[in-house]
Amino acid sequence: MKKTGLNGGDIFRSVLVLMLFLSAATGVGLVFRSIGFNVVNVVIVYILSVLLTARFTRGYAYGIVASLAATVTFNFFFTEPHYSLSVNDPSNFITFAVMTVTAVITSALTSKVKQSASMAQEKEAETIALFRLTNRLTDAGSLEDIADIASNAVSELLGCNARLLRSDGNGKQQDSSLPQNDVRGLLPPETDGEKKKSRSLKQSPREPADGCHEMPVRSRDALHGVLCIPKNVRMNDSQTRLIHSMMESTAMAMDRLRSVQDRIKATEAATQERYRGNLLRAISHDLRTPLASIMGMAEMLANMPPEDDPRHSLAEDIYKETNWLHSLVQNILNLTRLRDGAMNLSRQMVPVEEVVGGAVNHVGRLTGREIIVEAPDEVLFAPMDAGLIEQVLVNLLDNAVKHTPPWEEIRISVRRDDEKRFARILVSDRGSGILTEDLPNIFQMFYTASARRSDASRGMGLGLTICAAIVEAHGGTIQARNRADGHGAEFEFTLPLEEKHEPETK
Amino acid sequence: MSQKRSELLLVVEDDARISNFLSYALAQEGFPVLTSDTAQGALSLLVSQPVDLMLLDLGLPDADGMDVIKRVREWSELPIIVVSARDQDREKAAALDAGADDYLTKPFSATELMARIRVAIRHLYRESSGRHQAVAEVGGLKIDLDRRLVFLEDAEVHLTPMEYSLLAVLFQNIGKVLTTGALIRELYGPGYGNDTQALRTLMAGLRRKVEANPAKPRYILTEIGVGYRLVDE
Repeated sequence: MKKTGLNGGDIFRSVLVLMLFLSAATGVGLVFRSIGFNVVNVVIVYILSVLLTARFTRGYAYGIVASLAATVTFNFFFTEPHYSLSVNDPSNFITFAVMTVTAVITSALTSKVKQSASMAQEKEAETIALFRLTNRLTDAGSLEDIADIASNAVSELLGCNARLLRSDGNGKQQDSSLPQNDVRGLLPPETDGEKKKSRSLKQSPREPADGCHEMPVRSRDALHGVLCIPKNVRMNDSQTRLIHSMMESTAMAMDRLRSVQDRIKATEAATQERYRGNLLRAISHDLRTPLASIMGMAEMLANMPPEDDPRHSLAEDIYKETNWLHSLVQNILNLTRLRDGAMNLSRQMVPVEEVVGGAVNHVGRLTGREIIVEAPDEVLFAPMDAGLIEQVLVNLLDNAVKHTPPWEEIRISVRRDDEKRFARILVSDRGSGILTEDLPNIFQMFYTASARRSDASRGMGLGLTICAAIVEAHGGTIQARNRADGHGAEFEFTLPLEEKHEPETK
Repeated sequence: MSQKRSELLLVVEDDARISNFLSYALAQEGFPVLTSDTAQGALSLLVSQPVDLMLLDLGLPDADGMDVIKRVREWSELPIIVVSARDQDREKAAALDAGADDYLTKPFSATELMARIRVAIRHLYRESSGRHQAVAEVGGLKIDLDRRLVFLEDAEVHLTPMEYSLLAVLFQNIGKVLTTGALIRELYGPGYGNDTQALRTLMAGLRRKVEANPAKPRYILTEIGVGYRLVDE
């Protein structure tokens, strides 16, 4: 680790290095002189010694001192008169000046190179530390792992005990370096108004008095936690920068993990929903085949004995009951289809009169009842899943047929509302009407009218619920009320005539 | 028991109860009946026996009924009525477009089934006689295909050329469901895509001219999500 400032040991070592190189240069120079080499060579040797001094000491100062010392020593040993600082030949001053300048520049350059090298090394170390962290974060399988890895990395870097307090989805923070059950006692649950940053960490046993530097672990749209570094640890700028970068990586890793977890959760939920839907569909589907044979056989049985034979009406009842079961199955099927998502409705522009005609034909064929139909001359196109809207109409008409005596009329009428935004479809009967206490709940799931008649109690609970669900999925509304013009009930629903552009809610 | 019929019917259905009930109901009507519970068995019966009409369940153990329709259509115009528990409109339309003549969703009434069988058999004779029918009528609705005239209760109805074409196609396939896709191809040609709105607008116009109450049609029925059918009785 790098230390800033000079201390005694450092100065002593540097001076020793300086002396050593200078003496070595002087020694080599004396040898050169005895051999009879030119004095100029000695100058080069001195410059070399300055260079080496700069290389092995820290900062510019020693290099400059070494330059001056080298010049003085050279003057002392190698210029006439030897072993004296006086100079005979004035031209030697030029040698001194050039030598000093060269030595100073050389030492400065060397120091500079050294500094850049050490900076590069530092940078490299940072990069490696970040790279390692990122690598380990990639392998992390949970938010706890990520917090552990990040706090360990910071602790290693600073040689202290750093901790990462995670804020989970609920805004509660969890201490990565403490076992989960300890945390509860240490960190009071956050109250709504309290800012996360302001949370006091004083209670933590590891940092009793000091508290700590806090550094948020934050991504663009979420605060994932707070990094807590003990107050007594000193950090320089580059370390602070590095830790910032590390926390950025950590936040990104947490983001990634969270989004992966969210996606997995969503997929699981969707899969479950699909399983449930498939199960219901399979059941309904498997119910249909036996229902088909029962209905078919009952129908044939009913046609065998003469009509006044009790067996005729018994067989007919079997047929009716099975038919009721069939419509229940049909409704469950449509409900699961609807639950698969309102987005999946296969909507097409269909004239309202077509579905009305289809539903009236269907109910008329099955029940033999005459239904009065009123529709405007204008063709009202509405975006709809025609099969589902037909189901709504069939349910409402079935309901009307069930509650209306054969000699009374059932009427269905279509009109456009005054603002031309909705088609309004009204199914009215002349039955016994709806009890006032049933009106508010009549469209609720499995609500069955308060048992007036045993027949009614089994009645339309699910059927009306599905009507409401289908109509709402189309952006319309449905209402039930008693007729103002006498006895009987009426159900009215609306269908928007335009595609809705606002986002669909499931 | 009603009168003896000569048309040989084939019931392809893997559910024994349904198969029993269908055979019994058909025998009651006087039809000789063959049954098969597999696609393979059905195909070999079709080659070896002079079958006149096939009732086909789509969910067979050894093959999808859709494939059976396609294979039979490679060499035969035999009327096929699909009887299936699948009630998705998409599947109905797909079966009809693959060449099925009609489609009944389980459960269905025996009366309904007999009506459809009668329609299919009438078609069989009409087509095999090869005679060009100049005039066809159903109830009070009459079309003269040679003179391109339409009458309702003996009064001439003035149709646009497109409305006339639509009605003519329906008359040529009287009693059969025509899918919206098939009608669009027939009227606007291939490559028109599947824009049903033009067809539905045309149909609404036609119904306003030939139906007393377009919202409660008597002649041209809507098979919701599938197509249209001109009634035959």
